[in-house]
Amino acid sequence: MSAPATGGPLDAFLRVEGLARSFNGVPAVRDVSFTVGAGEIHALCGHNGAGKSTVVKMLSGQLAPDGGRVVVEGAVVEPNSRRAAQRMGVALVDQELSVVPALTVLENMLLGDVTAPFVNRRRAAAARCRRILDDMGLAHIDPDQPLAALGIGERQLVEIAKALSQDARLVILDEPTATLSDAETEHVFAAIRRVAGMGCSVIFVSHRLSEVLELCASVTVLRDGRSVATIPTEDLTVDELIVRMLGSAPHRLSGTRGPDRGDGRAMRIEHLHVPGRLVDFTLTATAGRVHALAGQLGSGASDALRALAGLQPQATGTVELNDRRVPLRHPARAARAGIAFVSNDRKSEGLFLGMSVERNLLATRLPGLARAGVVRPRRERRAALSLAQRSGLPEYRLDAEVLALSGGNQQKVFVGRCLGRDDVHVLLLDEPTRGVDVGGRAEIHRLLREAADRGLVVIFASTELDELLELGDVIITMRDGQVVGRYEGEVDGALLMRDMTHEADGT
Amino acid sequence: MSTDNGRGTATAPPVQGAGPHPSPSSAGRRPTAFAAGLAVLLLVLVALAVTAPRFATVDNVRAILASTAFVGITAIGATLVMIAGSVVSLATAQTATVVAMLFLATQHLGLGTATLVAVAAGVAVTALQGAVVGYWNANPIVLTIAAGFAIGGGATWFSGGTPVYPRTSAFEVLNSTPLGLPLSVYVLLVTAAVAQWVLSRTTAGRQLYLIGENRPAATAAGLPVGRVTVLAWAFFGACVAMTGIFLASFNTSATVTLGGTLTLDAIAAVLVGGTAIAGGHGSALRTLGGALLISAISDVLLLRGFSTGVQILAKGVLVLAVVITVHVRTTRSRR
Repeated sequence: MSAPATGGPLDAFLRVEGLARSFNGVPAVRDVSFTVGAGEIHALCGHNGAGKSTVVKMLSGQLAPDGGRVVVEGAVVEPNSRRAAQRMGVALVDQELSVVPALTVLENMLLGDVTAPFVNRRRAAAARCRRILDDMGLAHIDPDQPLAALGIGERQLVEIAKALSQDARLVILDEPTATLSDAETEHVFAAIRRVAGMGCSVIFVSHRLSEVLELCASVTVLRDGRSVATIPTEDLTVDELIVRMLGSAPHRLSGTRGPDRGDGRAMRIEHLHVPGRLVDFTLTATAGRVHALAGQLGSGASDALRALAGLQPQATGTVELNDRRVPLRHPARAARAGIAFVSNDRKSEGLFLGMSVERNLLATRLPGLARAGVVRPRRERRAALSLAQRSGLPEYRLDAEVLALSGGNQQKVFVGRCLGRDDVHVLLLDEPTRGVDVGGRAEIHRLLREAADRGLVVIFASTELDELLELGDVIITMRDGQVVGRYEGEVDGALLMRDMTHEADGT
Repeated sequence: MSTDNGRGTATAPPVQGAGPHPSPSSAGRRPTAFAAGLAVLLLVLVALAVTAPRFATVDNVRAILASTAFVGITAIGATLVMIAGSVVSLATAQTATVVAMLFLATQHLGLGTATLVAVAAGVAVTALQGAVVGYWNANPIVLTIAAGFAIGGGATWFSGGTPVYPRTSAFEVLNSTPLGLPLSVYVLLVTAAVAQWVLSRTTAGRQLYLIGENRPAATAAGLPVGRVTVLAWAFFGACVAMTGIFLASFNTSATVTLGGTLTLDAIAAVLVGGTAIAGGHGSALRTLGGALLISAISDVLLLRGFSTGVQILAKGVLVLAVVITVHVRTTRSRR
């Protein structure tokens, strides 16, 4: 077990000791220990897959640990639901907001209150909520206003206020600022500091390392499911923190693998703009190379791909493919121009789950296999077989429902659907290996490399350093909807990480 | 099976058919389980039918086929709409009524012209709704409730609330019975065959299933969601128009209530055929089977002297049983 964090047991509100949890035999959290003092703002940092969200889920009662224990105010607790955790004074403010826009601020604050009596005494409740809002510096918010009238940052604040109104003494904030503007972030921070000043402990989970250093007193670094250190932030710089998170930082092995073919085939993107999400994105992506957009949630990387696929109704800008204009805002027209898009949500926006592998592989190429709109089953079968072979899918699974496949094979079906078509010139992939096992991941990477070798423009977005470094010939780092840097050849993982997580100084 | 026993279980066959089915299905493959359920249902029906007086006569089979035709033709069209994920149209009866009125009012222009006008009207009105659903993602139930009122209002306005009579009776030829079967039965069979072929053998048919299975995915994949949806609705409109034309010819006049319970009868036939109400699964031939089954059960009950109320009740129980069976099937496979 790693050394327990500093801090006397008496003033510690929460003590986590040797927490562990596996999924289907694969450990997600191996050994995590840290201590959060009363009124302390404590950060949890780690790269993707380090185990942050699993720890958060265990603390908030959504997952039971396999090993270790959680001690709240000296007593071992085993919450088995979010309600149970709430009763112990631990509240979670989620990445996805769980407030109801149609209800008023007050109604939202009373929602799911485990301490509420069966018959609500509305006036008393209203007075209490008013007091909490005032304490948080939200005197300008009217509790009778519908939540929909508030900005996204204020909604976040209402959610924190809701946690406080339910007597939370530890609030866990999971990526609270990912989608906020700077001004909104400042507001949220001010409120968090006040909350901490009132004696409530805060666990802050964020990819934005500069914010972590600004806000938190100390940070526990997670790596590969272990807590590797708990460090006071006053001794820490962003670069040091990144080194701690990455361990021995991965370096680029070789130079550019996919050379510029020089035949002029390229996708030229100029001033692509999505209100509130993406600012002035410009990129010339040449055929034959793999372009990686590196950015965390809210960085705009995903939005850029969606806009190119025609799925952002408010996108503006100029996109040309091989010197022909590609229409924005229309997915069917983007597809006709030769753009294939692999969404990060393959279940709801990708595959036709209740249908066979064959039908899924052929879904987007039916007109090409038909004569005058009439399908030719034998030709379809041949096409499906050759696609299955190319994508590394077992042939005997062609008639199986996609639903029955593993995540890796499902993703192969999704990617395979876009391959082997003469009318596809651009492959866009959002998190191409999300929820895919190691073996499947390598095969999908091979597919993307092959597609580029065949002369396609390949652009993918990812949050995973390993994937970015392994696959990207050109890496574009993004943050807050803007491009931060562009790298080719040798590049340091820590440098990418810095771009993705840290506000550039002075600019 | 004694007569008493048969009478006692008259409304029960669907329940018996579906009841035992869910438990073995957890072990077996889904199609097998479904087939087993259907087989039990059919066995009970056959037992009931054989013991019923005059069931297995040529005249009775003709009667069953004839009573299937009107609803069946519309149901075949509704199958395409349901497979495409557009759920159902609740404006069906009103559309059929308006078409029937137009058909009778234009008889003096000749049968060909009158038919053309009627079908064009049915296709136009229905395809327009399909466009709103397909291109603008409107909720089909809300939309067709509104369209139903508008079309029904149009019918009342058009007819002035009185029956529409034709000036000539050129339509009489549609009531002919070649080879002893009404012309509508042939139209039903041809419609079913065409629909089945379109669904299974054309690009648009394949895309219909994909769109119904997962519309956001179809959109993101760049499939022609709007165009294919409109095609499905247009086909449905043509089917409703044909039903309207036959209704008009059969009744020789058209009132605003001519469509009657066509809307829900057609939906019932599609559902009994096992088409998924959420889209993505189903077939025209199965709808044909569903329509025939409903007619046959009504016929058996009629021959056994049950009232209309019992017939409708039996239809309700049958639809419920099939819908539950299909639901259990799909949710089990999703787990």
